[in-house]
Parts: sequence; structure tokens; C-alpha cells
Amino acid sequence: MASDTHLSGAPAGRAGAVRRLLLENGALSALVVLVVGMSLLSGDFLTTQNLLNVGVQAAVTAILAFGVTFVIVSAGIDLSVGSVAALSATVLAWTASEQGLPVWISVLLALGTGLACGLVSGALVSYGKLPPFIATLAMLSVGRGLALVISQGSPIAFPESVSGIGTTLGGWLPVPVLVMIAAGLLTALILGRTYLGRSMYAIGGNEEAARLSGLRVKRQKLAIYALSGAFAAVAGIVLASRLVSAQPQAAQGYELDAIAAVVIGGASLAGGVGKASGTLIGALILAVLRNGLNLLSVSAFWQQVVIGVVIALAVLLDTLRRRAGVTPAAAGAPGTSGPGAGGKGARAARYAVALVCVAAVVAAVTFWRSGPSGTTTTKLGMSLSTLNNPFFVQMKAGAQREAKERGIDLTVTDAQNDASQQANQLQNFTSEGRSAIIVNPVDSDAAGPATRSAGKAGIPVVAVDRAVNKADTATLVASDNVTGGRQAAKSLAEKLGGKGTVVVLQGTAGTTASRERGKGFAEGIKDYPGIEVVAKQPADFDRTKGLDVMTNLLQSHRGVDGVFAENDEMALGAIKALGARAGDSVPVVGFDGTPDGLKAVKDGSLFASVAQQPGELGRMAVENAVRAAEGKETPSMVKVPVKVVTAKNVDDFS
Amino acid sequence: MSSPETLLRIEGIRKTFPGVVALDGVDFDLRRGEVHVLLGENGAGKSTLIKVLSGVHAPDDGRVLADGKEVRIHGAQDAERLGIATIHQEFTLVPDLTVAENIFLGRQPRRYGLVDRKRMEAEAAGLLERVGVRVSPRAKVRELGIAQLQMVEIAKALSLDARVLIMDEPTAVLTSEEVEKLFSIVRTLRETGVGIVFITHHLEEIAAVGDRVTVLRDGRSVGRVPAGTPEDELVRLMVGRSIEAQYPRTRPGTGEPLLTVRGLTRDGVFHDVSFEVRAGEVVGLAGLVGAGRTEVARAVFGADPYDRGTVEVGGTRLARHDVNAALAAGIGLVPEDRKGQGLLLDASVQDNLGLVTLRSATRAGLVDRAGQRAAAGRIAEKLGVRMAGLGQQVRTLSGGNQQKVVIGKWLLARARVLILDEPTRGIDVGAKVEIYQLINELTAAGHAVLMISSDLPEVLGMSDRVLVMSQGRLAGELPADEATQDAVMALAVSTTNTATQNEEGSRGL
Repeated sequence: MASDTHLSGAPAGRAGAVRRLLLENGALSALVVLVVGMSLLSGDFLTTQNLLNVGVQAAVTAILAFGVTFVIVSAGIDLSVGSVAALSATVLAWTASEQGLPVWISVLLALGTGLACGLVSGALVSYGKLPPFIATLAMLSVGRGLALVISQGSPIAFPESVSGIGTTLGGWLPVPVLVMIAAGLLTALILGRTYLGRSMYAIGGNEEAARLSGLRVKRQKLAIYALSGAFAAVAGIVLASRLVSAQPQAAQGYELDAIAAVVIGGASLAGGVGKASGTLIGALILAVLRNGLNLLSVSAFWQQVVIGVVIALAVLLDTLRRRAGVTPAAAGAPGTSGPGAGGKGARAARYAVALVCVAAVVAAVTFWRSGPSGTTTTKLGMSLSTLNNPFFVQMKAGAQREAKERGIDLTVTDAQNDASQQANQLQNFTSEGRSAIIVNPVDSDAAGPATRSAGKAGIPVVAVDRAVNKADTATLVASDNVTGGRQAAKSLAEKLGGKGTVVVLQGTAGTTASRERGKGFAEGIKDYPGIEVVAKQPADFDRTKGLDVMTNLLQSHRGVDGVFAENDEMALGAIKALGARAGDSVPVVGFDGTPDGLKAVKDGSLFASVAQQPGELGRMAVENAVRAAEGKETPSMVKVPVKVVTAKNVDDFS
Repeated sequence: MSSPETLLRIEGIRKTFPGVVALDGVDFDLRRGEVHVLLGENGAGKSTLIKVLSGVHAPDDGRVLADGKEVRIHGAQDAERLGIATIHQEFTLVPDLTVAENIFLGRQPRRYGLVDRKRMEAEAAGLLERVGVRVSPRAKVRELGIAQLQMVEIAKALSLDARVLIMDEPTAVLTSEEVEKLFSIVRTLRETGVGIVFITHHLEEIAAVGDRVTVLRDGRSVGRVPAGTPEDELVRLMVGRSIEAQYPRTRPGTGEPLLTVRGLTRDGVFHDVSFEVRAGEVVGLAGLVGAGRTEVARAVFGADPYDRGTVEVGGTRLARHDVNAALAAGIGLVPEDRKGQGLLLDASVQDNLGLVTLRSATRAGLVDRAGQRAAAGRIAEKLGVRMAGLGQQVRTLSGGNQQKVVIGKWLLARARVLILDEPTRGIDVGAKVEIYQLINELTAAGHAVLMISSDLPEVLGMSDRVLVMSQGRLAGELPADEATQDAVMALAVSTTNTATQNEEGSRGL
């Protein structure tokens, strides 16, 4: 019916149909504007390879978002999908790789895990009467925790037979894209044609009316959350296959991307509205943005700003369009909406489209400066694990200084501690044909596949700070974390005179740096039998958490004699917690030698810090990447020295 | 024409919405100290006119004059400045704030930058006394009954020193007793010189409270008559033709009992309610608001639990608190709150009509959408639902057509016993008659109807038997020929003897 009522006197024919489609679907027009904008701004965007990259990079978010669509249409919310995805992948890898179960059973177990998590959330919502926000927030935490428990914090290799999902068919067609399309079709079928799907719209539209019409609302909700959990499991498997590694820390914050995709796609958080096609478009918008901003060499910090602005604009556009009175075709148009409504809606939509255009162009042009610079032919790409930490910021600064001196074009991206985002960035560097790539892996295993494909394309990869496993790298530039940990143990033990109790603040569970430093420290402290490690607790490399965790530990270990923190940030937090006791009476040893850390060493509150030289790491990485790009011989390993900094030698470092 | 007594005057107001001319050259004026009734069917333009006066909509054409000067009302602030206050059909109160806070919302008296609660509550108490309602200014609005809410809304309007008070169907949700109280407040306000625009669908209220009547039809003002005009004449003006009978009940012979309720009790809510409804019969359930009528209906339908008693349909006992059992047995509920409980407002006519039959139209998990569409088309045509198409959003239908959709979904599910809770609330005269005709057709086809209504003439006009509830108990039963307004009201206000708390109960007849 809707289509008939929209046959106004407006320009008929194909052009008219396309225009109408765009006007009726704000998200679709935003996507078109973005694609056109990106194609104009970057010659590398509109290539088959890059578009397939976009598809692959959208896949995990899209599959998660399809599951979340069910929940949102029924007026709920699911915050747990990221964690459930990680947990399911971990279950698969653990049962197959470590318990030796047949792979097909492991796959079923993984899907079952997702389903079970969803059922628990659903039961809490419908029978426990918890608000969906709270029930799934609880599941978010439980799921993440169980993934860490099962994996003991370390990534587990993903079985080879399943990892095929992360590769391509016939060498060019990426399987994740196929899985995404299949999941999308399934979602459309469920929403449009099944009893469960129609119930979702009814429950989301008016739960009480649905109940009074004989729908078994509680049971349906159970099924809806279970379905979301199952989709999360599929997304988790796709994610882990791409990285050939199941990471307990994977997909952090993906639930927010998924929700954003659903809402950008035109669904209402109030329920009753939403479509599979919209969700797909939402996920593609996010992927096109990330990909395009990488290609345009937009500064890593500004990327996040631009993404936020575009999310807001895309939804704003849709809201404006609705307020102007153009009803989406799917919801059915009232007979009263004649040409008048179209005119008014079109005007509002045009304003909104114009807004998005302006925003995209302004954003791109403003940050263009960090892009191509003159005549150089050597173009390097550098993907850092995070810029959330002074250590990596210094590494970036060192690399940029070196690049500037050599007159080289260097693009730095921030993977935000997300292995799959890093894979996307490496993929983008590869398809742009950079001369060489520098990677500071979020996770050594997970960076493998993307590094291999760069190698296949003939692009040398230099790893910095952490190694890349199962892939050839031209050079590894690193400081030795294990040795550093050992040195930290030695200096702390000697300060304590070989006896006393010590607590250890660990970094983010599952990260290489935490594992290696912890390992080195444990080995080093064994040489001093008089010293007892009374507690080891994670504080996620974070200063605030270091303060909180140390405060808590002081309740149970009042008389602690010394502290080892796996980085300076946590050490500084621990010093805050210790107050005046920090320094002479309770020595604290940190790691990294950041500016703040060195300042604390100087004023005596931090006894020692194991100093790496992040700037030097960055510099050496660029130097070796240039050599590799020029086809020159490079050493397989460059060790940047690590030194224990105490009050005695701190002046040599600042 | 224009006298100094004229507070507000509008001339040639025109307002169009996409595809619709809502107001087409409407003239209207309001004098000091008069109650000017605005009459018209739903869709005649009353709501749009009010929205123009309260600043929600800006007119496309025409003039608005206040005290003889042309003004523009572009928002609630403008209206407030001109002393125009509106009491909308849907209350605009915040449930979890107190009565006093609601009355002074956004204008709380302040001292040292803090809200001066003492003064606010004292002033609120004064206003509440003026409207004659006994409610503590400190009571939470959530705890109030619907009539009290109405009075709080009026108090709020008074606090604005309104000179023009617009009341949009203020009596729709009130019992006759409460209506009387409202009228006395309206009369008092009139004496103090306030001009009141009064909208109602109840013709008998016009003579009781009004001074002049302006009739709107299809966006035009078609007549201005004194309030004493006979009802037939008013109806003719409203619908452009005369309606033969307001309550066209035809009584087919009654058959077997379809619904039998025995000793139904929910502690503290209703007690020992027993009755039966036969095939072909319309049983009216009358009583004051709060007498427990809706609660009984919901319990019979399985929407709420009950503690004791039985519900049988065609001799089969139904499981307690199980909507699906009631549904399978053929009971359908058309709830009191049409928008809140009966409809998916943003979904299509088709989806709403097919809601109850969704399960039976499902094969192997897939819904037979084509079949559903055909069935929806058939029933919509049969009921005469006026719509652009099955894809139209239910939100955009008029109240009468929305109600037809709610009834239609039960007819599609072949419900034999229909419980209609306030089936014609907020529906205009023409559509009401259509609903009554529909009830006739249903009973003629052997359905049984239990009809709850606060509209006494409707209960008397349409029921074959009238049950009257008072304070959670059945106070009595009247056959159609004995049921008069007085008899029903006498039972409705009867206090059941507290000594009859035993299980014998208080079945009147």
C-alpha cells in the first residue's frame, strides 16, 4: 500500500525512484554522501579491493548489530554482545585447541555459549523483571570475566579449520562478507516473516497490547535475547578467525558500535521500528568512515571526533526527515501525505544531507595537512596499539621526528587496543600500497594474518615493542620486557635487603607486556627466598585503577614492604594510595620510564622505574622500515636497551 | 459585533496540513464570563482550533484578536502572556511530583534561589480549595484518581490567572457525580469573569453548563446557536443530517450462557462477583469509576490474577491468570485504554488486525503474510474502517476507526465473548452509532457482549441487562425495562453493608 500512496506527481521514472529511496532513508543517503565524498578525496577508496576491505571491516559489527536489532525492535537493549562474542570465540578455541575436542563440536559449543548467555539475559529480563540495561550490563561483565578465566588471560590459537572463515574464497571474495550477507538475509527473514519477528514489533510497539492479544511476551523475550546471543557468537567466531586467535579481550566496546549501527539504520530505541537493511547500512557507514579516515591519513585523535560527529548527524538527519512528515515506506504512509508532505520533508532532508556533506568535507580538508607532503615517494604506515598511554605517544613522537628528518611521509593510526581494528588498519595500509608498514601489535598472535597479507603484497613489515607471531617481519624493534622485569625484581629485592612482603600490580590481563614483565619479575624474585609476593592484582595499566587496587590491598596487607607495578602509571597510583609511606619506607618500582615516572623518581616517591626508550623505539622502527622499503638488509632483531632508573642516575634520562 | 466584553476573537482562520484542510475560515469569539461550547464530530477541527489558540499551531491565514488587538500566538509562552490556559484531554502532569509542584511547575516560588515549599504549598492549597477538591498539596500526583487529576489541572490553569480557559472534553473520563462537581466549578469561574471554551461530546451537558454553542463541521463553523437549542437540532448541525436513533439496539433472542462467572474475588479489589452472559445478549456493567469494573473484566480475561471463584466459557473452566486460555476459549478484551493497551500505534492497520491471529497464521515459524493481509482487508471492509490503506499507521486513524481495529482483531480471532471496556470513550456521535450497529450485528450472530461504560445513557440504551458495581461488589442487576438513570445511580452509590464481608456476598437481585 505504501508504495501506491507515494506515487505523487513528482518526477517519475528511475531518477525519481532513486531520489525517493534516498529521501525516505536518511541512513542510505548519508552512506551515499560518505562514499561519494571519500571517493573524491582519496583515489585509493573506490577500488574493488578497498571496497571488499570495507565489507570485511563492517562484518563483525554488522553481525553483532543484526542480533541487537532484534532486541532493540522489541524495545530492549543488549550491552553484552561484545563480551559474549569474545567468550564464544574463547570457548571454541579452548575446547578445540587445548581440550582436543573435534572442531565441529567446539563450534556447536561456541554457538551454544552465545545462546546460553542470551537465555540468561532474557530470563533476567522477563522472569527476573530486571531492566534490560542492567541485565545485559551484568552479562557484559560476566561474559568478559569468564573469557578471561577460561583463557587465563592469554590469547588461544584458533583452530586452522575454522580460521578459513576469516580468509577469502578463490583468493578474492572474503568469507566474513558472505557470513555478513547470510546473517543479514536471515535477519530480514526473521523480522519480516516469522512469528518471532512479528512478535518483536508487537512487543516493542506496545508490550501490554501484545500481552492482551495473547502473545506470550516472556517466552518471546527469552527467544529474542537468545537470538542476539547466538548472533554474537557468530560474530565472535568471525572475529577470531580473522585474527587466527581467540582473544579474551576482543570486541571491547563493540556493543556500542552495534547499537550505533542499529540506530543509524533508523531503528528507534523506544522499540517497534527497525529493519535489517537499515542496520547493515549503519554498520557500513561506520566501516566506510574508519576506512576512509585511514586512507585520508586523518590524525588518530581527530578520527574519533569525526566518527562521533557523523553518528550524531546521521541520526539527526533521520529525525529531521521524520519530523518533516515523510513516513518511511515500511511503516506505511498515511493517505494524507501528498506532494505537500514530500516537499517539506525533502527540504528538511536536503538541509540535513547538506550538513553531513559539509561536515565530511570540512573534516577531511582540515586534517588533510597530515596527509601527503610534497615529492617523497616513501610512504610509511604505522599502526600503534594505543595512544592512551604516554609511552606510545612518545614512541609516535620519536617516529615522526625521524620521518620528518628524512622527509618521509608517515601516517600513524591508533588501534585503540583493539586487535581487529588494527587488522583493518594494516589491511588499509596494504591496499594503499605503502612502501613499508610499522606495527606495534595489540596482540602478537592477532597481528599475524594481516602481516602475512602485507607480506604477500610485497610490503615489508617492521614490528615495534612487541613481536608478530607466525608471520615474517623485516625487523623487530623492542626492548626486552622479560629482562626488564628481572631487573625490577633485583633492584626492589636489594632495596628491601632480601626480605619482606611485596605486592604486584598487573597490567591489563592478557596483554603481552603484562605477561612478559610479570614473568621476568617472577623469575627475578625467585633468587631472593626471603621475599614473599603476598598479592597480585590487575589494575589495567591505569593510574586511577592503580590507586583503587592499592588502596584495597592495603586493607588486607597493611604491613607490605614493597610494590612492583608493571608500568609507571599504576606505580604512580600506588604511590598516591601509600601516601607518605611511599619512597623510603615502602619502595615502589615501576616500568617504562615515562616523564611522570622519572619526575617521581627524582622527588623520591618512586624508588625506581625500568626505563624503556619509547622515542628510540619509534626512531629505530622508522629507520629500519626505510631500509626495508629500499630493499636493504635489515637485522631481524634490534634491541633497544632497558635501564633501571633510580635517584642516582635519573638526571641522565630526563 | 465586537463589544468590550469580547476577550478573544478569531476571524477566518485557515490551517492546512499536508493533504488535509483542517480549518477552513473559522470564526469564533469568546466573551467575558461565558461558557462557549465548541461542538463537532471528531475530525471537524476542534482540536486544531484549540491548538491554534494555545500556540501549538500557527494559522496559515486569518486573524486572532485579544481585547480587540491583533495578536500572534507562537508558543505556550505567548498564550500564557495573553492569559489563555488549556486543559488538554491527555493530562500534562508529572506523576512523581507532588500536587503543589505540578501546579507551579516551572514557576515555583523561590527564596534565596531555593524553592520556597511552604509558600508554594500554601498557595496550592488555596487554589485547590477554590476548585473544591480535597487533596493534599503534598500528595504525589501518581496517587490521585482521574477526577482529582482533572481538578489539579484546573487549579494549575487558575494559578496562571487565566482569563480564557480552554477545556478539551473535561467530562470524558468523569462519573456523573464528578461531572456535577466540575460544572459547579465552571459556573463559579464564569461568575468571576473567566471566559471558558468547553468541548464535549455529551449533548446533555450543553444545556447544563453552556451559554452559546459554535458548531464545527469539516473545518468550517456551520452555526452559532444558544445553548438551549434542542439536541436533535445540534446533531443535525454537527453531522449535516439527523441521526435516526442514538442507541439503535435491536434485541435478538438470547441463547445458551456463554460466559459464566462465579464468586470471583480478588482480595481488596473485588469480592464475590457472579454473573453470566448469554449468546446474543449485551450485558452492561455500570458503576462509578473505581468500583472495580475494569478489574473484574481483566481478571475474567486472565490479564490479572484472582484469589477465588471460577470463570467458565461454554461450560469449560478457564485457568486462572492465563490470557491464552481465555483467548482459546473465545474471549476477547477491548481495553479501556485503547492507545495504551489495545493498539500498536506505530504499526500498520494490517499488523494490528492480525495481532491475535499471528500464531494461528504461522506455519513452521513463518507467518502467512499474504493470508493475514487478505483477512485484514476483509474485516476492515466489513467494519467500514476508514483508512488510506492497510499500510496506514494506526496512530493516524480517528478514535472511532482505531476502536474498530481493536474490535476487528478479535473478530478475526473468532472471539465469541467480547468484553468492551468503555468502547465509545472519546469517539464522536457518528462513529458511536457505527460501533453500536456493530454490537447489534455481533449479538445477532450469536456473540455475547459484556460492556463496561461510564456513559449512563449508553449503558441504558444498549444493554439487555445492567449489572451495577459498587465498591468492588455487585450491588444489583436490572433488566433493561427497569433500568433507569436513577435506579442505576442508586445502586452505584449504595454502600454495601460491612457486615456482609462473608462469602455470601451482596448480590443484589
